[in-house]
Amino acid sequence: MRTLFFWLSLWCGLVLQAGAAHAELAVVGTTPDLASIARSIGGGRVKVSALSLPSQDPHWVDARPHLALALAKADLLLITGADLEAGWLSTLLTGSRNGNIQRGAKGYLDCSTLVSLLEVPSGKVDRSMGDVHAQGNPHYMLDPKRVERVAVGIGKRLSELDPAGKSAYLEGTRRFVEELRAARTGWEQKLAKLRGRSVLAYHRSLSYLADWLGLRVVDHLEPRPGIPPNPRHIAHVIEIGKSERVIAVLQEAWFPQNAPKVVADKLGVKLVVLGTMPRFDRGDSYVTNMNQLVSALAPLGGT
Amino acid sequence: MNPDISIVLDVAGAYFSDSDHLQTGAHDPQQNGFNLQQLELSLGSAVDPYFRFDANLVFSLFGVELEEAYGTTLDLPFGLQARAGQFLTRFGRINATHPHAWNFVDQPFAIGRVFGSEGNRGLGVELSYLTPLPWYVELVGSATGAGGEETARSFYGADDLGVEAPDDLLYVAALKQFFPLSPDWSLFFGLSGAFGPNSSGRDNRTDVFGTDVYVKFRPITSVSPVVLALTSEWLYRRRQVPAAVLADTSGYAELFYRFVERWAVAGRYEYGSEANSVLGDTTVEDPLDPSMTADRHRVAANVSFFPSEFSRLRLQGSRDMPGFREGIWAAFLSLELAAGAHGAHAF
Repeated sequence: MRTLFFWLSLWCGLVLQAGAAHAELAVVGTTPDLASIARSIGGGRVKVSALSLPSQDPHWVDARPHLALALAKADLLLITGADLEAGWLSTLLTGSRNGNIQRGAKGYLDCSTLVSLLEVPSGKVDRSMGDVHAQGNPHYMLDPKRVERVAVGIGKRLSELDPAGKSAYLEGTRRFVEELRAARTGWEQKLAKLRGRSVLAYHRSLSYLADWLGLRVVDHLEPRPGIPPNPRHIAHVIEIGKSERVIAVLQEAWFPQNAPKVVADKLGVKLVVLGTMPRFDRGDSYVTNMNQLVSALAPLGGT
Repeated sequence: MNPDISIVLDVAGAYFSDSDHLQTGAHDPQQNGFNLQQLELSLGSAVDPYFRFDANLVFSLFGVELEEAYGTTLDLPFGLQARAGQFLTRFGRINATHPHAWNFVDQPFAIGRVFGSEGNRGLGVELSYLTPLPWYVELVGSATGAGGEETARSFYGADDLGVEAPDDLLYVAALKQFFPLSPDWSLFFGLSGAFGPNSSGRDNRTDVFGTDVYVKFRPITSVSPVVLALTSEWLYRRRQVPAAVLADTSGYAELFYRFVERWAVAGRYEYGSEANSVLGDTTVEDPLDPSMTADRHRVAANVSFFPSEFSRLRLQGSRDMPGFREGIWAAFLSLELAAGAHGAHAF
């Protein structure tokens, strides 16, 4: 009997604890960049979590069941969209049993709808083109100008979901945008020398960064999106790299580095591994992470 | 507004050292030479803010089969979720999955032996509850028809006696727990039970108890293509038959190892015990598998090549060692192609 009472007490305590967590607005970002922006804007009024780690390729997140627990309690889900999370999110979303964050609900914000997307395919799209995103390139979070629009959209949605905190969210958004604009001016000055220079990239994920900085991505190590490099394509990329006089090979941290190293060595240029996602779990913000990314790119301006 | 549509084709070349083999899966290669394992057409869409709809139609050379068609609630309170329609029950780990999620060309024989070649499924309803505990604990209960030689052979099976009382349905209960041991390590553990009538005699019943464990290592805190996954599932079946109660055990353990981005290997061991009379007349013959008069062991190994996420080539060899007849060698070379909407993978 005592044992039964103990378990019942534990159960009730946990249920009450779970209920108490709803006192604040619970926000879940599929990726650490969206989560960090929500935290910057919402401050103490929001409890934010991210479904993926900064070291994790956001295309390939395992739908580990415990992630559905965060979604079950969420008031707002932020997704990158444009099918970036297509391979894993819908399983979790259905499993969350949370009608407030299902597609179409006010608690579901597809941030790709807040910005204009690059590389929207025209004409017939199929996977002979690789794992292309039919709605456009989803890696827009590396362009601070687009991120500004994302931040404004997140701030507005937080205000709609928690009207009592509207002034706090507006103030949080204003502060974030001001900080971002000031930082962007500095980043653009630091990287001005990269404008017009040529680089190679691993995946088609740096298009927005290149668009913002005026970099030319002359080819990718993946022969087509999602298809790993092969020797014939690597040889081709090296030829392109030589003829275009590339200054570096760029890639995100989650891609394998063997082939990029070979290409960089053959071309005598640097392989720059970019940490494109903030270390949300350690408190990094979008701006602090971009500071590091800009610092990694800055030396290329001198080459 | 169109639903997401995807198609998956599974074809295989097969060799059996004995054409009278013991494959139990409806989608297993069945004959020497070329086999169409299945062409699966999946449809899925939100219906409204309250339901989503999913259907899986399977085409063979001989017709179309409605494998699954069900609605799932999206917004029930208190962590509840209901499904209604035709669905694979969530008994254990592999039963609710489709061939493209398997690490082997064929289905473990335990599923075919206990539930039937299609796995346990039926028309019915399911209610599941995601508990508010700090770790993932899900309780699942379903009620489906107990008939179907391919889907409920240990129950009414081919002799569907219909439903006159609640006792005539097949009930499945499951407890599913998940533990994120670390960002890189995952543990999934389940307990399941299936309870229903069988057609061997008036009020005779069958109980199946199962346990499954899935341990996965996938480094996400560092750059690595490695995936190492151990899956094991065991089923204990007890059946009332005229003059006796028969009991047997079936199960498998498999290890999947993706060592580079496009290549993986896997090994599997399977076991099925002879059905023994644990109560009553000890000479009673198993009415479902009368020839299985001794234990069965099977081992298999394969190597898979993934040109992309949407295609797969797999070469598999196996040795079936039934104690009641000559052993059987088998070799399969399978090709899987997926096109259409990018479906989300379950864990």
